[in-house]
Amino acid sequence: MASADKPINTDVPEKDVFALHFLQSLSNLRRQNTFNSPEKTNDRVKKIKKAAYVSMARAAGGTNRLWSRALLRRAAKENNKVVRLPRRKKRVTCLRRRRSNRRDPVEEEEAERLRNLVPGGGGMETSKLMEETAHYIKCLSMQVKVMQCLVDGLAPK
Amino acid sequence: MLECLVSLESMSLSSMDVSVLERLKWLQQQQQQVLSTTNASPELLQFHGTNNDELLQNTFSHFQMLGSGFGPNYSMGFGPSHEAMDGCISRTNSCQMDQADTVGVMLNNSEENITIILKNKRKSEVKTREEEKTEKKIKVEAETESNMKVKSNLSNTEASSETSKQKSKAASETQKLDYIHVRARRGQATDRHSLAERARREKISKKMKYLQDLVPGCNKVTGRAGMLDEIINYVQSLQRQVEFLSMKLAVLNPELELAMEDLSVKQFQAYFTNLPVVVASKPSLMVDAPLFPLDQQGSLDLSVINPNQATTIEAPSASWDTQSQSLYNTSSLGFQY
Repeated sequence: MASADKPINTDVPEKDVFALHFLQSLSNLRRQNTFNSPEKTNDRVKKIKKAAYVSMARAAGGTNRLWSRALLRRAAKENNKVVRLPRRKKRVTCLRRRRSNRRDPVEEEEAERLRNLVPGGGGMETSKLMEETAHYIKCLSMQVKVMQCLVDGLAPK
Repeated sequence: MLECLVSLESMSLSSMDVSVLERLKWLQQQQQQVLSTTNASPELLQFHGTNNDELLQNTFSHFQMLGSGFGPNYSMGFGPSHEAMDGCISRTNSCQMDQADTVGVMLNNSEENITIILKNKRKSEVKTREEEKTEKKIKVEAETESNMKVKSNLSNTEASSETSKQKSKAASETQKLDYIHVRARRGQATDRHSLAERARREKISKKMKYLQDLVPGCNKVTGRAGMLDEIINYVQSLQRQVEFLSMKLAVLNPELELAMEDLSVKQFQAYFTNLPVVVASKPSLMVDAPLFPLDQQGSLDLSVINPNQATTIEAPSASWDTQSQSLYNTSSLGFQY
């Protein structure tokens, strides 16, 4: 292996950024006419949840992170929209060629569950997966804080 | 011969490990003994010099002699290994040392580490040579032991994974130029794949430690499996929280008015940065506040935002403003959600 060790970079934007994106998406949702009908709460829930994830992905750095790209692509596919994501320096092809270097059976079982949880985890090597998980955890916790804030503010007093 | 060893010590002592120093001193003593017993000083004087093949030969021949001296005390069957050593020594001498004289560099080097600056050698050669270097720093009995093991590894480089589970010493990993020079642990395989595996595993464990700091309550659990379980639980719990909160929001949403009123940025920011502080104005305004300049087509009218916010902006919110501007610019992807 011929690479220097780079420091792990998991910077996450401030809470305001997440808040902004989330509220943006919420207001877009509300503009839809069918949104505020008292029935069909489940649909609303799903839409809000999806909006939360997408806004989180955008706030966390858009297409600069693997998991956010995967999230956005997944969301766009559900809406039947085409997302043009800019191509990054793809080193995944090199990984495929590497001779099953990451298939350590003990590790792979553990990593499998993580891959299922973190979006976009299927195509990553285990070390990259760890980085993405760390960033994902930070962003998720930020998003949870924002939503909690909102709910507390909006709760009937 | 003593000059070179003195020069070794004259190197910056602070940066060298104490154990290494001890070993070097021990080596010095050993060579003194060797000198006294075998009277082979002229050969060893070439330590300083440029002739590496002879040097290696000399050192190995001395090990041989020392080994034979230790023969009766040696618990392991030394006889057959003797031959193995002979055969292997010839093999090592046939290794080409094309480029800089490594040992000479090592001794004359005023650098801190005893890293060997190797330029464009093949990795297997590099590793075997480093193995040889590590041998010089270990005690003789142990040295011969590891010598044998390394030689046996050299002889069957294909079968690697078995020997990798043996005793270990502290392995140091040093970086030079583009390569990672890994000192192979004692008795472990030196071929390419296992080294790469080891480096990779260390990378992963480093990242696991980082994750451990991130996830609360991970300190008590040791071992990789348990930690991974904790991490997975944490991620799942966060995702469940998001779902739960979105349900709550869905319930609350229809109760709010769709009033779009002008609200200062300061209030909005305060709302989110000071968690317990809730602004007294109507909650619906909070939700809709920053969104009124947002058009459905995605072209955001920043000129509209700025004059409104200019009057109320202080230093902290100014940063938020620029941030939000950049966000508006960059957040428009192919679709608008």
